[in-house]
Amino acid sequence: MIDFSKKKAILIEDMAEARILQKKMLTDFGFKSIDIAMKAESAIELLRTKSYDLILSDYNLGNGKDGQQLLEEVRNSELIPNTSTYLMVTAETSIEMVMGAVEYQPDGYITKPFSQALLQRRLLKLVENKEILRSINLALDEKDFSKAINECHEVIKKHPYLEGKCNRIIGECYINLNKFTDAKKIYKGSLERQKMPWALFGLAKTLFLMKEYDSAEKKFKQLMLDNKFFVNAYDWLAKCLIAQNRHDEAKTVLIDAIERSPKSILRQIELGKLSLNLKDYFLAEMSFRRAVFLAKHSCFNSPEIYLNHLRSIVGLASQESLMPRQKDNFKSTLKKVEPFQLEDVAVCTSIHEIQVQFYLNQDDKKNAAEALSLWQADYEEGLANKPSEQHKVTLDIEG
Amino acid sequence: MNEVDISTILASAIHESKNRIGTLLYHTHSIKNHKEMNTDVDKTIDTIEESLKQLNDEWVEYLYLYNLSTNVYNLLYDSISVSEFLDDQVFALEGSATSKGLSLSFKCDDDLVAVFDERLITSAVTTSIYNAFRFAKKDIILTASIKKEFLVITIEDDGSGFLCKENDELFATKNTGLGLYFCELSAKSHAMKETHGYITKEKSSLLGGACLKIFLPQ
Repeated sequence: MIDFSKKKAILIEDMAEARILQKKMLTDFGFKSIDIAMKAESAIELLRTKSYDLILSDYNLGNGKDGQQLLEEVRNSELIPNTSTYLMVTAETSIEMVMGAVEYQPDGYITKPFSQALLQRRLLKLVENKEILRSINLALDEKDFSKAINECHEVIKKHPYLEGKCNRIIGECYINLNKFTDAKKIYKGSLERQKMPWALFGLAKTLFLMKEYDSAEKKFKQLMLDNKFFVNAYDWLAKCLIAQNRHDEAKTVLIDAIERSPKSILRQIELGKLSLNLKDYFLAEMSFRRAVFLAKHSCFNSPEIYLNHLRSIVGLASQESLMPRQKDNFKSTLKKVEPFQLEDVAVCTSIHEIQVQFYLNQDDKKNAAEALSLWQADYEEGLANKPSEQHKVTLDIEG
Repeated sequence: MNEVDISTILASAIHESKNRIGTLLYHTHSIKNHKEMNTDVDKTIDTIEESLKQLNDEWVEYLYLYNLSTNVYNLLYDSISVSEFLDDQVFALEGSATSKGLSLSFKCDDDLVAVFDERLITSAVTTSIYNAFRFAKKDIILTASIKKEFLVITIEDDGSGFLCKENDELFATKNTGLGLYFCELSAKSHAMKETHGYITKEKSSLLGGACLKIFLPQ
């Protein structure tokens, strides 16, 4: 029997009744340390500061991010170690969305309603499995991928039923080691025996990394057909298309993906960047505005998101006269990015440059000159890089 | 049951569920007035819990049934330890079996690993066990093995078996028939290359009653 009393748990659930009930269940199992979050956003704050052995998260978390998005974000940004156990609580109707999301899956799931006995059983089995995989997960956390592969082979020898799970990890390790031919072999081998979505995804990703874009594209499209809840396949397909310079097609694919699942910040950023490149500032502004909104409680918060939102509005100003609402958006995002400039000369420089250009594009030379002089002042203080000559010339001659 | 209109099926399923809710309301009434009615409160609460659990399992079945028959269900294949899977099924329904005076157990090779949609087959096996509850005298047993490219899951009981006339009539009209139809759809939806799953209804060699076999291609 596993002793839960020394393990730390976080319970993420928006419904009060369920929260109370599940907390009681965990307490009965012996957990002494149980933190509670009511939303994905507050869970991220907790996960940032503490480490947990067990994450018990509901799929439905109210208006914000859902449980799957939370999982993808914390896994992608490595906020939780591979050794901790992630158990997702789902309704019968959302299970497809959780397990259909091939790229990131929880360690286990349990469907509502469940009894205390069933939760205990699931939990014990999961934690037992995690114990068996512990040496592998420790190696993964240390990013020692060769060691992880060896540990996987050891586990397969002792526990043949874990072969699928281990092969999946081995494939990912080979990708991390840039051993694409080995990765391909693992995935192809798994696919020969069974049509497993993770193996098809792994193969598609490997082909993409090997720059075999044609074959990768076909595989991603197959995944989209087979698994309609696997929206990340759209992101990968878009990457494939961008790599082949088929930007307009990629844009269509990303717009489609965003319609299905709009709350993914990485997807919004990707579409925003693509639109900036294509000079579709309208779409870029919309994507980055959404990304700015999602960034606050995200692991992917970075000044670049805000700067790109500002750049999109500057771009819009070069094409048409701005509406008051757009100017307000500019000011509000500007305010949000300002805290970042103190630590970072490059960010500070970008902010000044964007502001000068913002006024120039509106033919507002007075404010542009003022913005330029503030830039010059920050440069002299060593906070920003030197203003570009081009800006000075433009303003001196015309101003 | 081929080419059945799914809305007709679901309407009749809802009708049956509704009757069950009537019984539940009667039970809560008898708890509320337990003094006058001399109710065994603990026992009644157990009964209510059992009924709610079964209702939940049935509604899950209907959801899958709807999704399968309208082709919106996405199968999630995974490799699964079959003995653990059967252990889970027994664990979930052991209490219900005991309360009906039945024994529910499983037999399976510990090393057996197979590929199937765990949620869907859980619902199919659950449905079959509920069916067996209605006919078994004492014993229900689950077994699983690999036979020629198929995983075969069997649900056997010591009741009067599929060939009994009384049962035949039930199949055509009531829940049992719907359950079997659901199992058939669930099995059929599993496909490896060109091979699809299927079910057979036989006489149990272990217990002498009904034996439902679910064949899933590997």
